[in-house]
Amino acid sequence: MASQILPLELIDRCIGSRIWVIMKNDREFTGTLLGFDDFVNMVLEDVTEFEITPKGRKTTKLAQTLLNGNNICMLVPGSDGPDGS
Amino acid sequence: MDPSAGIQEPFDLIRLSLSERVFVKLRGDRELTGILHAYDGHMNLILSDVEEKIMIVDAPEGAPPGHGAVSIVKRKMEMLFVRGDGVILVSPPSRT
Amino acid sequence: MDDTTPPPPAAPASPPPAPPHTGSPTDFLKGVVGKRVVVRLTSGVDYRGVLSCLDGYMNIALEQTEEHVNGAVTNRYGDAFIRGNNVLYISAAEPI
Repeated sequence: MASQILPLELIDRCIGSRIWVIMKNDREFTGTLLGFDDFVNMVLEDVTEFEITPKGRKTTKLAQTLLNGNNICMLVPGSDGPDGS
Repeated sequence: MDPSAGIQEPFDLIRLSLSERVFVKLRGDRELTGILHAYDGHMNLILSDVEEKIMIVDAPEGAPPGHGAVSIVKRKMEMLFVRGDGVILVSPPSRT
Repeated sequence: MDDTTPPPPAAPASPPPAPPHTGSPTDFLKGVVGKRVVVRLTSGVDYRGVLSCLDGYMNIALEQTEEHVNGAVTNRYGDAFIRGNNVLYISAAEPI
């Protein structure tokens, strides 16, 4: 049987790379992943926050940021967000 | 003088506010001021001599933020238990 | 009384290796205490201030706090306790 990889091992391999974080609500983040913990709290660098509203998208640039894992829904490794690939 | 002297963890801020009048912001656009008598690790609070302010925003659908009619309801309570999960922020009296 | 001296502590053959830089949430928080930060709540309200301390629940004590709603300052607090469940993120507002 092929060696099983745990979900968080995959995320561990993304450290140092860009990652796209999709929250449970209408909010998304992209940034360079510096680290995370067992709650999937994440430290990101060179962050862009996207608020998706009916009127369009509001973006905010952030420096090093600790994102609370509580509201994270999905992670897309290696992606630069809604505009990237 | 460092105002944060003696604060090692966030709850110290609350501990130092016992018997003082505090401002409490709650979910659902509620604000309280009252004398803090007790708290626990959930941030359950006991306040006395409380004034509650409830902001009721009557904004038409799609109105830009801050353009609805806001009415404020105030009421007073002698003694109040606040369940911790509704607490957003507690601010002690300014120590300046 | 005797004149034997306790053996000197064994000198390490080499200095202990520096802990690897992990960039973990804990490391981030160690670096950001005492610095200016932006705390955004899930409601979208921002608190800007100096991070005094925090705990494992992401409960936060801030000093010189400004509350920002839709880009405008709506309140100022000398000290503020923010309950961790409301926190969306903590972002450095000055170089770490």
